[in-house]
Parts: sequence; structure tokens; C-alpha cells
Amino acid sequence: METTLPTDRRVAGSAAAPGAPRQQRLSLDAVMGRVALLVLLVAAASALQPAFATAENARTVLLAVATVGVMALGMTLVLLAGELDLSIGGVAVISGVVGGMLLRSGSVALVVAGVLATGVVCGLVNGLLVTRLRVPSLIVTLGMLGVLRALANILSGGQAIYPEGIAGYLWFGRGAVLGVPVPVWVFSIAAAAAVVLTRHARFGRALYAVGGNATAAGLSGIRVDRVRLLVFAASGLAAALAGLLETARLAYIGPAGFTGIELSVIAVATLGGVSLAGGRGTIEGTLLAALIIGVVNNALNIAGVSSYVQQIVTAAVILVVVLPDSLQRREREA
Amino acid sequence: MSALPLTTHEPGADGRPGAAAAVLRQPMLWLLAALLAAGALSSPYFLSADNLANLLRQVAVFGLLALGMNLVMLTGRIDLSVGATMVFSVIAAVELMVLAGGVLEVRMMGRGNTYVGPAVPVVVLTLAMGALVGLINGLGVAYGRVAPFIMTLVTLSALRGLSYVLSNGRPYYLRTDTYRWLGEAHVGPVPVAALVLLAVFVVFAWILHAHVAGKRIYAIGGDEKTARFAGVRVGRWLLAVYVASGLCAALAGLILTSRANSVDAPMATGYELSAIAIAVLGGTSLAGGQGSPYRTLCAALVFAAGLNLLTLHDVNAWYQDLIIGIVLIAAVAAAVRLQRRDA
Repeated sequence: METTLPTDRRVAGSAAAPGAPRQQRLSLDAVMGRVALLVLLVAAASALQPAFATAENARTVLLAVATVGVMALGMTLVLLAGELDLSIGGVAVISGVVGGMLLRSGSVALVVAGVLATGVVCGLVNGLLVTRLRVPSLIVTLGMLGVLRALANILSGGQAIYPEGIAGYLWFGRGAVLGVPVPVWVFSIAAAAAVVLTRHARFGRALYAVGGNATAAGLSGIRVDRVRLLVFAASGLAAALAGLLETARLAYIGPAGFTGIELSVIAVATLGGVSLAGGRGTIEGTLLAALIIGVVNNALNIAGVSSYVQQIVTAAVILVVVLPDSLQRREREA
Repeated sequence: MSALPLTTHEPGADGRPGAAAAVLRQPMLWLLAALLAAGALSSPYFLSADNLANLLRQVAVFGLLALGMNLVMLTGRIDLSVGATMVFSVIAAVELMVLAGGVLEVRMMGRGNTYVGPAVPVVVLTLAMGALVGLINGLGVAYGRVAPFIMTLVTLSALRGLSYVLSNGRPYYLRTDTYRWLGEAHVGPVPVAALVLLAVFVVFAWILHAHVAGKRIYAIGGDEKTARFAGVRVGRWLLAVYVASGLCAALAGLILTSRANSVDAPMATGYELSAIAIAVLGGTSLAGGQGSPYRTLCAALVFAAGLNLLTLHDVNAWYQDLIIGIVLIAAVAAAVRLQRRDA
């Protein structure tokens, strides 16, 4: 499952007697545990709810997963680098509003380019503030969350835009290619790109190294600040993309959307085994976690459970999955 | 200020000779003076007794949250659940009283969802619920080894959900005189809420700077492994700081709900982020080991005075958010720069 990566955490782990192989097996267990949980959930939901195991419902689950999933991919990259991005809700909203302003031009290509460019610019601003001013990313992105939400309100005058008649825009949320909804395609392609990026590219190695021990990574010739800048840009791009998918699906661009999404997305990444301390976790884990949350919420929806109870159940699921990992790590450290 | 060798970068602690000089070196104090001067010059209402009392009540809520947050952050942890705890503990307390009323056959809930039972048990139960939430957070972080961000995020969303489920999404009205006393009464010219904050501040300042407990808390944040080897029972202290933060949140919840005369599940959304922002503005380090209740209190005053000034000048809420965000980043950037220059 895990290739050996030159992070200090792993090195420290392998220094202990039966280190490296045991650690690999453990994280493989963690992944298999999540796969097993997902299979179990799907089986239970299918058995209890006849409405669950239908092609139509599978589409619903995947559509719901796509938005949060795309954001979680960006967040995973940021977390792997040992940083945090609380601004994604603000990024999604401001890039949506910018896109909404460009709608009048009539060119969907221009709108999409505007949305994505806004996301990247916001991410770069985050990254520059973190790398140049040395302000902790929690503070930078928390401040930016407020700033971007405020800018979205100011730019739009607090008014929502309904892109109801613009078929090219709505296609991103409601269209389908080969029977699969466009958001699911976008999510899958983004996920594949993220897997390749973290697993096979030089960038991936640099990413884990920076998250594991930034000083050591810097000393071994990795341009640490550039990696940080790139992950924030990627997270901004992902947030803008998710914003595009969601606003197109709902045909509603409003400055008040995506409230609290940052915490849900961090919860997904954590459920997938990504460490907030950086350098530990995988894109695959995040994907599994996004599916687990999607299946749980969908099954509860079908059962007619209120969204508030869903919130409690989701919280419990996160704790149940994360706790054994944490306890296991404790045994290893002791 | 703490004279603990483990907290090496404590600015102000290194300038031993002049304690007064150290106090004056706080940038927050200068910022507060500037804000007060700007307020006094630009608005005739700013220094009026009514406005200042209002300001102090607002400081009480955010100050209590930030003091609790400062304590948790000193150990290198974080508590995202404080906003949800504020609301949940009050709702749960009211709900428990209604339950008790059912058993004792006393009517606790009047017409229109107005609570008509006694207020003192509600206050006691609210504090107990706050402590309980803190205990759960502390157990998860200290003994379950769950990352503090995640543990308290889980309680945040679970408590928000529970608050909705318990209250059925409807507000409860709390109009008994005793309850309102907390939010509205004055002792001399000073609101009771501000006195509560002052009392908590004195206790925290004493614990952190004059008691061995403070040295242990700073030691955990400074270097946890060393503290552990030195015999500090890290788990117990983590439990203690989370319980303290839960209690602070419950107190803040009491003050907020007694001012509003009601409690409602979506109240105080996002307050945890304001509390973190205030603590960080006051120089509390996210990495632990640095920060003081005094500076946190100064930052809370700056935060509330700034908000009050913007509201007095009719600045749109959107522009307020914009300004808060920029000031937060700029203030921390300035602090980082100062620290690097000193080092």
C-alpha cells in the first residue's frame, strides 16, 4: 500500500525494532478497515432499504459525494504538506460570484475560466501569505475565509444569481456523459490526477517530505515554499471547481452558500486517515472516506432521519473510525 | 508574567527589571488606546455609560471563550467546540429541568416555549454540562489520542445536531428575573457579566502565573516529552484545561442567552473561530507554551471595542467581516515579524 517515503516520521518509526514492515501492515489494515466498513455499510443499507440499491440512488450518492469529494482532494494535498485551509467555503463562494458576473458575457468557457482562475488566485494569496509573512496557515485561511465571504457579499450586493436559462453552465451540474453525471466525471478525473500527483510524481515525494519534516526537506534541496504555494493553489482550484459543480447543479449562485464546509471537508480527510500534523495519509483514503460519509448520509436520508440526527451519526462514525488508528499509533510510540 | 525557564520566548518575561515596561510593551494595549481615542473623537456616544456597559457585556462573552481557548492553546491543543458548547449546555440544562419537572409534577415550560421554572438550577446544570463536554473532549484528546482539532470538531457537530434535536429547532425563552440578572444587572456602573469575566481572569492569571499548575501547563506546551519525563501527568492536565474551557463556554452561553432572553440551536455559530482569533491576536501561540490571560483579555477588549466602533459608525456587516479578516492576518504578521526581530 505505502511506498517508503523519506519523512522523518517514517524514519523514526523504522528505528524502533520491528519498524517499517509493521508500519506498512498497519496502514494497510487501516485502509482495509475502511474498505470493509464501506462494504458493510452498503450491504446493510441495501438489506434494510430496498430503495438504496438502485442505479438511480447510486447516482444520487455519487453526485452528493462529488462536491465535498473534490474539495477533500485539495484539502488532502494541503494537509499532507502540514498546512490547513479553512478558506475553501469562501473561495467557492467568491469564485461562484465572479462566474455569475461573467454570465452576462454569454460565453460559458469564459465563465468557467473565470471561476477556476479566481480559485487559483485565492489559493495563491493564501500560499503567499503563509510563505512570505510566515503567518500560520490556520490564521491566514481563517482571515481569508472572512475576507472572501465579505467580498462575495459586497461584489454581489448580497443578491443570488439564478443561471436557469444558461444550458452550458448547468451542464456542469446536471449533464451526463455515457450515462454518468458530469460532476462524477469531474470528481473521478480530479481524483485520478491527485493519485498520480501524490504517488508517482516527484512532486508527491516532495509533498510528503515537506509535511513530514519541512526543515529536513529544505536541507535536502526541496523547495519547501514552492510546494506549499502549489498545494494552496490546488486547494483553491478544487474549491472553485466544487463551487462550479454545486452552483450548476442547484442553478443557484449565492454569496451565503458553503457555510461550515471547511470543517466537513477536514472531517472527510481525517476519516480517510490523513494526519493534521502533515506527511501522513493518502488520496485513496480520502476517497474511501468521502464514499463512507456519502453512503451513511444517503441511507439516513432514505430512512427519513433528520439532517440534525445525521450530523450526530456522522460525528460518531468519524470517532469510531479515527479512534482505533489513534490508539494504535499510541502503542507504537510507547 | 511567568518566570518559567521552559517558556523561553515569552516576550516581557525576558525584560525582568521593569514589569511596568513589559505591560506597556503589549501591542494590544496600544491598539486599545488608539481605538478608544478614535472612538471618543469620532462619536459622541462611544464613551457614554450605556455604550461602555454594552461594550463590556460583549467583551464578557468573547473574553470568557478566549480565556478558555488560551488555556487549551497553552498546552498546544485547540478547542473548536466552544460555540456549540455555549448553546448546547443551556438547552440541555433547560431540557433536564423540564424532565425533572415531569417527574416532580411541576410545570417548567409555559405557554409559547417560555421557561417558567427556577433559574438557579438551570445555571448549575449549564455549568455541569459545560464541564461534561470538556471532560469528553479531554478524554478523547488525552487518553484516546485523537487529534484535538478532530476531537473537538466531532463534538462541535454532534452538539449542534443534539441542540437541534433536543429543542426541536424551536427557541426557548428564558425570562425569569434571576436569569436576566446575569446579563443585564449592574454593580455600580459595571455590568455583572463583566465582573464574571474579571473573576475568571483573576483565577486563570493566578493559576497560570502563581501556582504550580501554571508551570505544568506551560511545560506541556513548551515541550511535552520533557514535561512527561519530568513527571508531569500530561493526561490529567489536558483533562483539566478542556474542562476549564467547557466551563468558560457554559458561562459565556449563560451570559449570551440571558442577554437575548432566549436560546436557540443555531446561536453563537462560528464563535469558536472568533475565540481562536482573539487568543492569537493576544499572542497565544498555536504551537503551545506561549500566551497569557492578561494579553488575551487585552485582545478581547480590542476585538470588542473595534466591533463596537464599526457598529456605531454604521459600517455594514460585510465590511466588518472584511476588516476583521484583514486585521487578523495583519496583526499576526506584525507579531511574527516582531518576534523574529527580537530573536
